Amino acid sequence: MLAIVSMATFAIFFLVPRLAGATAEGMASRYVGRTATEETAKLAAERLGFNDPLIVQYGRYVKGIVAGAEYDYGAGVEQCPAPCLGYSFITRQPVFPDLMNRLPVTLSLAIGAALIWVLLGVGIGVLSALRRGTVFDRFAMIVALAGVSLPIFFTGLISLQLFAYGNPFNWAAQGGYYVTIEDSPARWAYGLLLPWITLAFLFAATYARLTRAGMLETMNEDYIRTARAKGLVERKVIVKHGLRGALTPIITIFGLDFGLLIGGAVLTETAYSLNGLGKYAIDAITNQDLPKVMGVTLLAALFVILANLIVDLLYAVVDPRVRLT
Amino acid sequence: MTAPLDVPESASHAAPEAVAAGAGRTAIQGRSLGQIAWMRLKRDKIAMTGAGIIVFLVLVAICAPIIVKLFGHPPLEFHREMIDQETQIPKDRFGGIGWDFLFGVEPVWGRDIFSRIVYGARISLLIAFLATLLSVGIGTVLGVTAGYFGGWVDTVISRAMDVFLAFPLLVFAIALAGVVPDQAFGLSGDTLRVSLLIFIIGFFNWPYIGRIIRGQTLSLREREFVDAARSLGARGPYIIVRELLPNLMAPVLIYATLLIPTNILFEAALSFLGVGVRPPTPTWGGMLADAARIYTVPHFAIFPGLAIFITVLAFNLFGDGLRDALDPRGNR
Amino acid sequence: MRRKPALAVSAVTVALALGLSACGGTSTTPQSSGEPGQPAAQDKADAALTGVFNPSTKKGGTIKLANSGDWDSLDPADTYYGYSWNFIRLYGRALTMFPGKPGAEGAKPVPDLAKELGKPSEDFKTWTYTLRDGLKYEDGTPITAKDVAYGVARSYDRETFPNGPTYLNELLNWPKDYKGPYKSKGADFSSAIETPDDKTVVFHLKQPFSGFDYLTQMSVTMPVPEAKDTGTKYQEHVISSGPYKFEKNEIGKGFTLVRNDQWDPATDPNRPALPDRYEVSTNVNADDIDNRLISGDLHVAVEGTGVQPAALSKILPDPALKARTDNPTLQRLWYTSINPTVKPLDNKDCRIAIQYAADKTGYVAAYGGTTGGEIATSLLPPGIPGYQKIDLYPSPEGKGDLNKAKEHLAKCGQPNGFETNISYRAERDKEKKTAEALKESLARVGINVTLKPYPLKDYFSLYAGKPSFVVKEKLGLAINGWGSDWPDGYGFLQQMTDSRVIRESGGSSNLSVRIPEVDKMFDQALQEADTAKREQLYAAIDKRVMEESVILPGIVAKSLLIRGKGLTNVMVNDGQQMYDYVAMGVQ
Repeated sequence: MLAIVSMATFAIFFLVPRLAGATAEGMASRYVGRTATEETAKLAAERLGFNDPLIVQYGRYVKGIVAGAEYDYGAGVEQCPAPCLGYSFITRQPVFPDLMNRLPVTLSLAIGAALIWVLLGVGIGVLSALRRGTVFDRFAMIVALAGVSLPIFFTGLISLQLFAYGNPFNWAAQGGYYVTIEDSPARWAYGLLLPWITLAFLFAATYARLTRAGMLETMNEDYIRTARAKGLVERKVIVKHGLRGALTPIITIFGLDFGLLIGGAVLTETAYSLNGLGKYAIDAITNQDLPKVMGVTLLAALFVILANLIVDLLYAVVDPRVRLT
Repeated sequence: MTAPLDVPESASHAAPEAVAAGAGRTAIQGRSLGQIAWMRLKRDKIAMTGAGIIVFLVLVAICAPIIVKLFGHPPLEFHREMIDQETQIPKDRFGGIGWDFLFGVEPVWGRDIFSRIVYGARISLLIAFLATLLSVGIGTVLGVTAGYFGGWVDTVISRAMDVFLAFPLLVFAIALAGVVPDQAFGLSGDTLRVSLLIFIIGFFNWPYIGRIIRGQTLSLREREFVDAARSLGARGPYIIVRELLPNLMAPVLIYATLLIPTNILFEAALSFLGVGVRPPTPTWGGMLADAARIYTVPHFAIFPGLAIFITVLAFNLFGDGLRDALDPRGNR
Repeated sequence: MRRKPALAVSAVTVALALGLSACGGTSTTPQSSGEPGQPAAQDKADAALTGVFNPSTKKGGTIKLANSGDWDSLDPADTYYGYSWNFIRLYGRALTMFPGKPGAEGAKPVPDLAKELGKPSEDFKTWTYTLRDGLKYEDGTPITAKDVAYGVARSYDRETFPNGPTYLNELLNWPKDYKGPYKSKGADFSSAIETPDDKTVVFHLKQPFSGFDYLTQMSVTMPVPEAKDTGTKYQEHVISSGPYKFEKNEIGKGFTLVRNDQWDPATDPNRPALPDRYEVSTNVNADDIDNRLISGDLHVAVEGTGVQPAALSKILPDPALKARTDNPTLQRLWYTSINPTVKPLDNKDCRIAIQYAADKTGYVAAYGGTTGGEIATSLLPPGIPGYQKIDLYPSPEGKGDLNKAKEHLAKCGQPNGFETNISYRAERDKEKKTAEALKESLARVGINVTLKPYPLKDYFSLYAGKPSFVVKEKLGLAINGWGSDWPDGYGFLQQMTDSRVIRESGGSSNLSVRIPEVDKMFDQALQEADTAKREQLYAAIDKRVMEESVILPGIVAKSLLIRGKGLTNVMVNDGQQMYDYVAMGVQ
């Protein structure tokens, strides 16, 4: 899977420009500054290995991840330990530390938002299902539907306007404000509050809808009837049996959503100018800095895979029918 | 899921048999299934509101030139007389909103926001519809193929779907939309960008629908009516076209309707990030991107934002209603 | 060849006066500079343009700066941003420098590491500099002539240091096949730079160059100790020769500078070195920077390119905020190349039609209105010595003269207009707006323009700067901009109008000017000893290019800078065209 993702990235960056008629030197010339002579571009193409066949370049990249690589920084050669995701074509900084630098931002964003949306979404979903047909249910579901229909780059803009830039409130941090949790947990939360809420709103809506549907379905199942017949307290029936059944599809989706989000909340980070992995990806793409793009897409794919794995494990906990042996 | 709270319990219980049996019998039953669904849908006021808005939006998109002629100014026309030359924002406190400019004017050039929204609907809907068609096409073909033939075909296609689902799609779409040159495949300008976006959005979204179709096919494949057809000597293609596809129409229709709003958001996101249709052609996402730069002028952001919101909401409402009507088992 | 956002070098008092009047009649009377003993200065718009705002000699404090992007590099061999050349003087000393003095004084090279300015040979082909005594690096080791030579030699390796200026690469008499000290280890480069002893640096040029002191003020002549050189990683810890050194440096996030106790003020008459610390954060959202500047949380927006449109609409209507701004006119021209290699623009009348059809008030609007620039009618900005007012295609208020435009269209055989394309850098909103404005105004005479955005990174190397691409894609118009690397006509005009800088492989910022007479005039100027005559030649070049109508001048750039709260000794001088970071202090 990772192999396919990385190959696809490679292909986009090399095949498409090739098809458009770019030469190795032409492609190298964008990484050597504007004042460079043809001579310099040639040297750069050589250094970056653009003259080799695509498969060789790809092989070299994979080798770097597995076994590390050597990097010539001019005055000497440096060992880049595995997993070596290469060096930026432009800033010449190793990519891996960069990614580790950006990860906490995205992770903070994703975890905080996920916490809110799961609690809120599942809570509202359950209530809605139990009070099916009431005004609360209708209202909640319409709000939820509205939530899924709002693009985050719009809610981001509006929320900043309303709550950060003083029209009319000045309660939240302005765009781009980020303090690490080690520095100050309070300021960390203050900076991320708006992104958390808007992001959570978007997802909570989906989860509320899913939970409600799932609950309605499971509450009709035979085993619920059995549980009730056993004389269990209704609350216990709902939580232990109803919710459990309804949670299975939610966990699946949550795994995918969360994995994708850690891989880069592109739009949220753009809307709030947070320097996380998503913005890193966008900047890398804009600069056509292949090693960076490769690094971030690989990391993102890795997170999705990991998340799916965890989801499978969670199934066992939630759904008694699944037992991992 | 929102909706048919007024549908009696009994109706929904009647339905599964209708679905299971419908296609196996004659065409008359098939039609009646449609009729049942239509009846349910008609009773679902929220879904019908959504449908009404969709029809309205489509009409707006089609008649954009006429509407703009009647109520606005050409979308690319400058009205710098409306703009303060020092600050470059509209002179008027409310952004120039009035009879002349229904939604006010843009900062700097003073272009009519109303007209740009109306024209933006064209791009947005066109791309969303066609991209959905593409996704549904690829998804259905591959989903049915995987589900019906099973074995290694299924393995390959399912793997492919897994890979696609794990992809950081947006990043990929941006990368792809960013590197394609200005003239390619014999196309150029807006035509190229629109086709490119349709391709990218449609292509990246097929696995979702593919998965659903595959699942449905898997269960349909084992049904009696398919066995019957097979025992009568029918071959794969015949069974797929004559027996399976008609039964897959309902899920295809539902997910197509629900995919459209996703695609509208996708297109808006790409335009917002600057890799959509090129300026000065108006797009909703592009207008929002412009507005983000001058956040001090609120009306500039609100109208395109609302346009996206209302459109997406309308499709979601209608799609939900449609699901409830066609697939009452869910009866959520 | 500075194409990057920030750079611009000089503007003289004429320009400043123009800037003031264009700025909407704020009641600004020129402040006399440097009145000592005033505790807190009154906020006044443009106070730092005409003199020093809030002068002070008080030491101490921390200046907080933020950058919405990141440095191209902190390495003196590898940086080309104007703000970087401004800032680098805090941690590095070159042979000469622009001193932190107000006005035109701030644009005249003075000796820095060198005892005095360079001593040229008679033919201006050999330049000799002698170092001061007592110069030391941050680690206490002495700075020698060899280190200066080594610094220049490593900057020759443009494959390792792609960003820096290449003037010395082209001008010095480098050995054949020399590739810099990494690739040609131990090779002798004394044909280019000689160091007869520890205090003397001698440069050997291939051709006469009278303004060599302007080149040695660039950061490439800052000394680099060979033993501590780590190639591309050197930027992670530059060994300081100036009054401040790096305390911590996280590339991509920011860095801190603290006092360098090995720096001896007795060897350095040009740096007051007022604050104790500089805290710099990079990759900060630009709107956020503006808001923090306004609130007082931040002192300086390092890039010095002026506030964002959002802040503009907040500041201008507010007299208290406006009083904290400076609106300098820069030596930067935003223009549009008219490519004679694309039909029908091979016809001069078609090109002239564009001059008349364009509405330049749209150009001004694209750059943020009257505080963003003023209409230009020729290439040289008013600040450059030798500037003459040239307006060959006049029109009322710069809005264009449609009758004249149609006349010329008829003459070129396209009475109903024609179709062409206009390229711009996709990431630059202002260029996008310029393209939209030109499309709108040219349509008035039937010239239909299609917008073609290209990625900023490759704009010159692969797209608009590549002659074959221009022809293939029919890029009749290309949005462009230029700020000179040093304040004279040669520095400003040569890279944008000398046809010999155009390379078939792409990368030149001269896209459209191929006039043999102009090339000849440049050669003449290089050999002309008399300054006044040289300046006449520059004006003549300007006029000649305008006659051919291969460049549509747009605006001379202006920027709206906001002074952070509590800053002292604030000045926008002609050397930096933004706040001078060497002079600045904090209360």
